[in-house]
Amino acid sequence: MNRTTSTNHNRRGVTDLSRRNLLSLGGALGLGGLGLAACSDSGSGTANAPSGEAGQGFTFTSFALSEDPPKEWLEQTVSDYASGEGISISESSYAYNEALNQMVLQSRGGELSGVAHLDIAWLAPMVATGTLADLSEYTSDAGYTEAALGTGQFDGVQYGIPWTTAAIGLIGNAELLEQAGIDFVPSTVTEFEDVLREVKSLGSDVVPYAASTEVAQLKDFIVWMQTFGSAVVEDGRCTVGDEASIEAMTWYKKLYTDGLIAPDIERSAARNLFSQGRTAYYDDAPIGSAIVVTNSPDAEIRSKMIPLARPVRNAGDVPQALAWGHILVVTDGEESISGTEFARWLTSDLDTVLGYFDASSNPPTTSEGLESPEVQEDEFLTAFTDNITATATPSPFWEFTEYAQMETAVADSVQAVLLGNQTPEEGMRAAGEAVNGLIS
Amino acid sequence: MVVTTETRSAPRQRAVARTHRSRRTFPLGPWAAVVGFGLFAFAPVYWLLITSITPDSLVYRYPVTFFPESVTFDNYRSVFTDPEIFGWLANSVIVSVITAVLSVVTSMYMGYSISKFRYRGRRTLLYFVLSSQMLPSALLLVTLYGIFATFGLLNTYFVLIISFTTFTLPLCVWMLKGFFDNLPDDIIEASKIDGASNWRTLHAIVLPLAAPGLVASGLFAFMRGWNDFIFALTLTGPERQTLPPALVNRYIGEAATDWPELMAASVLVALPVAVAFVALQRHLVGGITAGAVKG
Repeated sequence: MNRTTSTNHNRRGVTDLSRRNLLSLGGALGLGGLGLAACSDSGSGTANAPSGEAGQGFTFTSFALSEDPPKEWLEQTVSDYASGEGISISESSYAYNEALNQMVLQSRGGELSGVAHLDIAWLAPMVATGTLADLSEYTSDAGYTEAALGTGQFDGVQYGIPWTTAAIGLIGNAELLEQAGIDFVPSTVTEFEDVLREVKSLGSDVVPYAASTEVAQLKDFIVWMQTFGSAVVEDGRCTVGDEASIEAMTWYKKLYTDGLIAPDIERSAARNLFSQGRTAYYDDAPIGSAIVVTNSPDAEIRSKMIPLARPVRNAGDVPQALAWGHILVVTDGEESISGTEFARWLTSDLDTVLGYFDASSNPPTTSEGLESPEVQEDEFLTAFTDNITATATPSPFWEFTEYAQMETAVADSVQAVLLGNQTPEEGMRAAGEAVNGLIS
Repeated sequence: MVVTTETRSAPRQRAVARTHRSRRTFPLGPWAAVVGFGLFAFAPVYWLLITSITPDSLVYRYPVTFFPESVTFDNYRSVFTDPEIFGWLANSVIVSVITAVLSVVTSMYMGYSISKFRYRGRRTLLYFVLSSQMLPSALLLVTLYGIFATFGLLNTYFVLIISFTTFTLPLCVWMLKGFFDNLPDDIIEASKIDGASNWRTLHAIVLPLAAPGLVASGLFAFMRGWNDFIFALTLTGPERQTLPPALVNRYIGEAATDWPELMAASVLVALPVAVAFVALQRHLVGGITAGAVKG
């Protein structure tokens, strides 16, 4: 009758693990695994033109909606557009670093609808969800530059409408270089290295080149591999580990050993060094240079910033730069025509484009926008476009869904070499093998 | 004279000897370790506080300084005058309090059942509950997201409360089971001899005795709900988001992070938990260690 018994009796305790318990546990974990497998199947397929009807409400998902300075301008612009069209636009926002994961998850769960704002690096993983519409018929006559349109294409399909297009390139401090007696722009890596040595002679407080040495941003090294002639990816296989990549790594390691680049530098630290006049060169996109100006105690810092073409291995080579930009994609569904019309208006209507440029300093993607006096009068941006964006290319890894893991694999190996744990040959070969493992 | 001198010097000698002994036995190593660990543990909190009162123009100064050159409370003012933050605060309070209550109520019945009743499968049940703790929460999130999307439950308080409770239940059940194990069966049997039902015995006799355990598990569940980032970020939209994901969305951008305001907001987020911990720490420590020793 009395089912209450003492737990203090001398018998096997309830917390002892029996074989049956283990089996039960295995079953539970197996069920969990099946659940995960069910959620992880690929959803890629053929893209369709936007369907549905115009004049419908939709959701606009954008990390810019939570970022100052464009936040306020963007909210007002979206609100005005919705009022003008007589539709409702719901806003959804994630922090930049969380946005891709959230959108992929939502997309796989069928919860992402309407217009979504992507970094151009994120296109492949989003295409793999199989939910994006083909927007080519809406982009052909809107005046976007060919280079900008290319940032929204994948496998020949126009999934994205370009919103801003630029690059990540080398920015120099004219004042500091002048102090070091440099009155020319180094065009080859040999000249560049000589210039760095001259800058180093200014004193130990100065980091000649605030190149990325922290693993989070070591993907910047990919551009240096390309500069030395490595394809990085060719015919669907990673070529890292080839002679050119090893030569690039050897050079980078030499800069590190000789104190021409410094340890523990990532983008934010590089901006801080630059804003305080303590480095002659660093890598950034136009949007980041605005942060330098904001944080600098030097009110004239903007006029001292000179965007320059990355030095080449041999005179006559094409300077390398990493493309950077944002695109708008539209998920296929009832609201996709409404969403596409909004995305096209936001990125090509001249007043709207210039309003965004004024709010964010992000360059437009239409020829009309780029040629407008407001953009042309921005000397820094004009020089950036001419010297850096003109020859920028997307990362070779961006065609793969696993691009982020690939960049991390390369970064890990570069760091191992910089720290002296591997030789350049070992590091680059290991990186190549790791990336090829992710491809196969 | 000699005798007097010896008599007077004897206590001094004993004192000197005591001093030498105490010097010999003063545990300098452990104390140094404690101070070292204390500084290590407090450093992030110190940095949080310092950054929150540093003016924007100084926060990126390089090399960093450990003491601010000037102090401002503008960052706290900005946070306090932001109406959205109070909406997120309300979401956090609602979700965390209900999670704590639900976790305690559910786990107290389950813990009591497993501790004091004998029936087939209770061990399996106990380990089955624990198994949910063995998978990374990010993996479970994918499955939960799909389930909640199917049932149209995303972007609700309910979805967060259920998710958080899923994670708090195992530890709460194990914690309370240990607590109930320590309660002598004689008390329960005496209650029954006096004619009390199982229900009355549990509520009138056992639960008052188990109050420290209930407080400890409730506080644990509250903190789990209050601090969660990834579930609150993924399962809800802007209207139902709690403070941790909302603050990240608000202050961390693609190119820049507003560290001073983020730190000021973080201080305010941490305060309720710190206050609750200080107020209830006696119960918390007692509750957590209650099942540790059987006797």
